[in-house]
Amino acid sequence: MSTPKAPAGHFTILYFAAASSYTRKDHDFLPAPLAFHMLFDVLDQKYPGLREKVLDSSAVTVNLEYVDMEEEVAKKDRADGSLALKEGDEVGIIPPVSSG
Amino acid sequence: MADEVENSGQTTDEQSLSEPNIYVSLTSNPLDSTTALSRVKSSKAGAVVLFAGCTRDNFNSKTVTHLSYSAYAPLALRTLLSIARSVHSSHSLVSISVTHRLGRVDIGEESILIAVSAPHRAAAWRAGEECLERVKEKAEIWKEEWFEDGGMWRSNRDGQAGVPVVKEGQDSGEHAHVDGQQQAPGRENA
Repeated sequence: MSTPKAPAGHFTILYFAAASSYTRKDHDFLPAPLAFHMLFDVLDQKYPGLREKVLDSSAVTVNLEYVDMEEEVAKKDRADGSLALKEGDEVGIIPPVSSG
Repeated sequence: MADEVENSGQTTDEQSLSEPNIYVSLTSNPLDSTTALSRVKSSKAGAVVLFAGCTRDNFNSKTVTHLSYSAYAPLALRTLLSIARSVHSSHSLVSISVTHRLGRVDIGEESILIAVSAPHRAAAWRAGEECLERVKEKAEIWKEEWFEDGGMWRSNRDGQAGVPVVKEGQDSGEHAHVDGQQQAPGRENA
């Protein structure tokens, strides 16, 4: 799968497996910046039911590194704030894996 | 650092990462056990173990027509390399090779080949098993099982079927009532 580059002011979000079936896409470009803890709200609004069916059991990567979702949500009200998704970032929604 | 070779050479579409005595790859071509074995054979290795994971024709007695694998390739390759490196080191292997197939895989064909070589057999057996278990737990690769009436994502973690694969033109309301809860928990795959 080769994903086109995000347009200016956007980041890329990649959907795999169940996430791809539910959204019927393999990627979207979303406006940047976006506070990481808002990501699931934005996605669930765009695809109602996605959170319950897919996101709650998925992990998330940003630029190929896993992000600790609970930690980011906990940080949102602190001075250092949660991670911000920036223009050009690549975010992956990683449902439970099933290789082998 | 690992050398990354994408769309390397010949007629293959194999994507790989490698270091001395460590090779991991993803390919949509049929897997070749002889190639996997020859990658790890060495005059220092008295034991070579090859694991071939093959696709089954049923899930809970329901007929599977074929399977299809997809991956987050750059991340899956990194994860495979990290697992292979760790298993290579902890079992003092001579060499290790892991190749997973992507795309459509017909029943009875290999979906993964793990080849390891070690001075003696005990380490090779153990390393092969540990490598497979870690790959199944971590590698960012997903299996769709296709039945006569459609596809279903599988999860290694809970052995359950996931969200169904929606066919073109199907109403999105289909999402609401299918989540695979009918499947027996704890079922082992592959």
